[in-house]
Amino acid sequence: MIALPEKKGLLIFLGLLALVIVVSLAAYQMTGQMDIKERFSHAVGLEHAEDAGKEGSGWFGLSLEGSPLLYGVTLGILAIGCYAAYLHFSV
Amino acid sequence: MAHIHLEDGSFTLVWVVVWWACALLLIGISLYLVRSAQKPDNRRITIAAFCTAAAFAIFQISIPVFGGVHINLTPLIGILTGPAIGSLVVLIINILSAAIGHGGWSMIGANTLVNIAEVAVAYATWRILKPCIPGLFPRAGIATIAGLLCGNIAMILIIVISGVQGVNQGTAQILAGLSLLAAVNMGVAVIEAFVTGMIVTYIGKVRPDLLRGERP
Repeated sequence: MIALPEKKGLLIFLGLLALVIVVSLAAYQMTGQMDIKERFSHAVGLEHAEDAGKEGSGWFGLSLEGSPLLYGVTLGILAIGCYAAYLHFSV
Repeated sequence: MAHIHLEDGSFTLVWVVVWWACALLLIGISLYLVRSAQKPDNRRITIAAFCTAAAFAIFQISIPVFGGVHINLTPLIGILTGPAIGSLVVLIINILSAAIGHGGWSMIGANTLVNIAEVAVAYATWRILKPCIPGLFPRAGIATIAGLLCGNIAMILIIVISGVQGVNQGTAQILAGLSLLAAVNMGVAVIEAFVTGMIVTYIGKVRPDLLRGERP
């Protein structure tokens, strides 16, 4: 059984989500299929064609921005830092 | 999420300096607030480190929704670490992102301001809604949507105020184009709201002491 304030919160949240989805879908219909950089360039009026054909690469359509090697190295260093902080501060 | 995906050279040098100066001013205030705390909160520092790693990891991945969008977890950073430490976290993420080739170096100041707006608004919404919405999931979700909406507004304002070099469009056209872009961007706020809500709910169940101001 969900308490009344909890239910009220969920209803507000779901209503907000519905509104956001409707507005987003309407805007998407108006602008069409583009990746984020193309969408940005198009919005401000810049010519941008270098990313054409990039879409759909990677796993399940997921793609990585920037250098994969540097991404892996940076993430590894951050992970080591997190582990050290976790041990040092005994969280 | 809101992030200015423009190349270096899109803003004039004057505006690059202005946005960097504004960002550094806010970072300076955040550093002062963090350092002036009576006792350093080691737990929050560790959470900030985890937030930095998680947000950096997810921010570089383009998700195939509406042609490609990003999640950046800034509202989660705001909820878990607060606006002062959160501001430092987003600066580090923006610097690391530029270092690996995601975003221009000259855009770090502007993008940090956009992300600070997301962090601060999400945190404020999370705190303000506590008396009327005690549930962690809907409150975190609403805070996420509010934060990302304000981030998009900040992004639009920064671009409209700065102008973009090499374009012939007027301010009204740029504003219309960016408003549509922000509306599409908000689509990912739905995913981010669910992700943030689930993470906060999970932390609330297993380690409620890590949620600032929540009763364990």
